[in-house]
Amino acid sequence: MMSPSLSKALDFIRANQNSDGGWGYRPRCQSFTEPTGFCALALFSGGDKTAAGRALDFLKACQKDNGAISLDPKDTEGSWMAYAALLAFHALGAASEERRLKDWILSFKDASDRFTPADIKAIAATLHYDASIPGWPWTPNTTAWVEPTALFLIALIRAGTPLTQDRIRSGISLILDRKVRSGGWNFGNPASMSHKLEASLMSTAIALAALAAAGYPENRPPVEDGLRFLGRCLAGEVSTASLGWCLLVLKSFSSEASRVQGIAARLAGLQAADGSFRRNLFETALAFLVLVDPGALLRIPGRNG
Amino acid sequence: MKGEPMTRRELIRALGTAALSAFPAAAFTAGRRQPEKRQAAGPILRVALIPCSDYEPKSLLEAIRAGWRLTRPPDVNSKRVVIKPNIADFAANRPIHTHVRLVEALILHLRELGAREILLAEGPPQNRDSEWLFQQCGFEAMARHRSVPLIDLNYDNIRSIKNVNPRATLLRDLYLPETILSAEVLISVAKMKTHKLAGITLSLKNMFGIVPGIKYGWPKNTLHWNGIPQSICEINGTIKTHYSIVDGVVGMEGHGPIMGTAKKTGVIVMGDNALSVDATAARIMGIDPARVDYLAMAQRIKLGFLRRENIDVTGERIENVRTDYVLDSEFSFLRAPNG
Repeated sequence: MMSPSLSKALDFIRANQNSDGGWGYRPRCQSFTEPTGFCALALFSGGDKTAAGRALDFLKACQKDNGAISLDPKDTEGSWMAYAALLAFHALGAASEERRLKDWILSFKDASDRFTPADIKAIAATLHYDASIPGWPWTPNTTAWVEPTALFLIALIRAGTPLTQDRIRSGISLILDRKVRSGGWNFGNPASMSHKLEASLMSTAIALAALAAAGYPENRPPVEDGLRFLGRCLAGEVSTASLGWCLLVLKSFSSEASRVQGIAARLAGLQAADGSFRRNLFETALAFLVLVDPGALLRIPGRNG
Repeated sequence: MKGEPMTRRELIRALGTAALSAFPAAAFTAGRRQPEKRQAAGPILRVALIPCSDYEPKSLLEAIRAGWRLTRPPDVNSKRVVIKPNIADFAANRPIHTHVRLVEALILHLRELGAREILLAEGPPQNRDSEWLFQQCGFEAMARHRSVPLIDLNYDNIRSIKNVNPRATLLRDLYLPETILSAEVLISVAKMKTHKLAGITLSLKNMFGIVPGIKYGWPKNTLHWNGIPQSICEINGTIKTHYSIVDGVVGMEGHGPIMGTAKKTGVIVMGDNALSVDATAARIMGIDPARVDYLAMAQRIKLGFLRRENIDVTGERIENVRTDYVLDSEFSFLRAPNG
């Protein structure tokens, strides 16, 4: 049963739905696909099918003829935010839009086939990663990075794409290839020349969530090292969004079960009197989902199959 | 992994940085939104070079006041002023970002001058966790203390405007945050740093941070594929910075802008023309600005001047504060001769 305070999170989301059916990151701001997808999931999870349905109309308005989803209805280009629309289409049963979007995401290309062998060699020597591995970029035909790759993996897997699908497999390979030597992930460069770069918490949490979604074994070094990095970060100051992603990760790996309650309480403690988390619609929806219905984002072992 | 030595050109090509020749010299003659008024024959741009040995609030405020007085600053009275610091990332042991106290001193100064509204705005380039970054760098606490809104430009409302370069390709329709587009006065407060791909990063390069992550990602890789010099010039040609300040009290040398090491320089550089401010800051770093490709390109397209004869440096003399910054070997060709 939902606590009264989390019910207030839904009230905050509902109260800030724009007339176009979508949400911005902040109240009274321009609607975008990412916050709209997450707010739709949260409202649907909380039983408000009417408001979620209006959000679905906004997301459908963002879909182009080729199935791509842009960041808002006016933009003409497919966007990384499509991952959030796929999660929402899947949960809300928009089967036709979901199928077209999945096809587009699977054809959404990065720059891996634009690099020459010399480029790939140069990148391996300087940035210490394999640029030939296809993943997902933030914008079409540019370099693939850790977070968009992980976000698309999470959405595709949640929407039932087989783990054996080529793009899923290469996406996982990319994440493993880009890990930082000291444990965890950053935006996607493990090193720069002779300098080893550092991991960052949000990138690490999202990468771990993708590996969890893919059923990657938690006793392998990339996950173990990532979880250790995550644990070190959680001992210090952590942002609301990172804490949300971290809680999703902790709920996804059985070895982390003992930490779930404490981190959930810490996240819940960030809720403001108006029901929001930092007056940010995306973060409020993310917090609601990871606290109440993480299965909307990831299949959690033992909870939703 | 150990690779063979490579040239800078190979690295830049591998990273998707386009050729440097795609910018027409006359790109801005007709299309620039806010044309530079002092583009007549023989203009002299003024840059103040103010010694400042530490980040004590009193020293910083005095430095800002002195630099403002010695230059040709914009009129901020009753204006909506947006301050764009550089918050590229955070590390406790490396001076990556503009020092928060310098920005705080600027806020106090602008209030003295009667600015109607002051906003702090930044879109961190590669770390999407802005809440954490703003906290760690001290900007969130300072903004709260001074009652100044702190805007994450990566998630702001956005609007596309036409790039002034008629030959622009990837950035033909340039998406920019409303906070920047609605600024009456835009002030850049950059950090004096070396840059692993661009050579140096100062005021002009600082404007990469106004480009919204929700459209262009983290890092803003579209700008790399478009060509770093090209992108710097297209952004700065389309959006005018009305005043530029470079935090050189402690800069960063070596493998900047993130992994370099601290370089105490003890100076703040200020002026109303970003290119001339950057050229002066480069000379302080022991770098010949004419050898920095994006600075040379910026002069070619009339964003200002980098030649010494076009810049009236007031305050301290460059020679008295020149502190040669260590450069990655690939950028050793940028070094200015001594004297």
